[in-house]
Amino acid sequence: MSDVSFDSTNCEAIVRRMWPHLDGALSEADRAAITRHLEGCGACSSHFTFAQSFLEAVHEAKPDPADFDRVLGKVVRALAAEGFVKTP
Amino acid sequence: MAGTIRTDPLFCYRMGTSHPSLPEGSATESSSATTSATSAPSAVQAVSVQAIQAARDAEFSAIALPLLPTITRIARALARDDADGDDLVQETYLRAYRYWHTFDQQTDCRLWLSAICRNALHDMRRRTRHEDAVEDAELESLAAAQVHKAARAVGLEDMYDRLDLGPAIVKAIGKLDPIFGEIVVLSDIEGLSYDEIAVAVDVPIGTVRSRLYRARRQLQEALMVYALDAGYRNV
Repeated sequence: MSDVSFDSTNCEAIVRRMWPHLDGALSEADRAAITRHLEGCGACSSHFTFAQSFLEAVHEAKPDPADFDRVLGKVVRALAAEGFVKTP
Repeated sequence: MAGTIRTDPLFCYRMGTSHPSLPEGSATESSSATTSATSAPSAVQAVSVQAIQAARDAEFSAIALPLLPTITRIARALARDDADGDDLVQETYLRAYRYWHTFDQQTDCRLWLSAICRNALHDMRRRTRHEDAVEDAELESLAAAQVHKAARAVGLEDMYDRLDLGPAIVKAIGKLDPIFGEIVVLSDIEGLSYDEIAVAVDVPIGTVRSRLYRARRQLQEALMVYALDAGYRNV
């Protein structure tokens, strides 16, 4: 397992890589080592689960679509003064 | 060449060379560039100008306007105020429309518009952007684990699963430092990679990571406060 860039038995080393792991930004070897560690470590696993729930909540947090319609109307009116004609 | 212009309006208006990051008024409007090809515009040229404008408007409607929700989120994160953010969206789209001929359709229009948005904000505020120190980004992962422990200690471990935090998250992102809020929107809402954000924001990847992780921790802390204020405790 020389491809792994950290001590995968060390919980702190695992948690240090939590965000890049959840963002899919680690090498395949590092990602696999973390996955193996999480399978056997409830403490680390709970941190990752909490963080993943947070990311999912943020990803789904979007303003009301009606709010965008209001902004769109404002923008299209301003563009119309420049000669813009919106097409469907 | 007049024949080329009449038969290929898209090519015509894409012959401009201005860039949206340049100050306003520094570019020649594509339509006037077309008509100035000869000293006395004919009726045929007038028709071609209309065709050019119609083609530009159709492209702009199909490509740029559907991205308004994305740009609104970015603008509000940058402006830290919905009203200012909406003004910034309007300014962004006005500039994008004026310089639409410079947009390369082989590239991601979100990134092009977000760059215009950032330049517009800079011009509007005339502020000097401070460069944050790139600290050990991994420390923020450790800090996030501490946030989790604190949440567990006060009965908030399952708050993301049991509470509708959407409005609170939108509000909390708006309260972040703009340089953090922008990256959270690009990463965690729009789904851009570290590499893509580094290009869009024009900072090193290490800075992207540092800002993103710190912003997430600040958001987590803000949401804990919100949940506690709302009286939620699963104990």
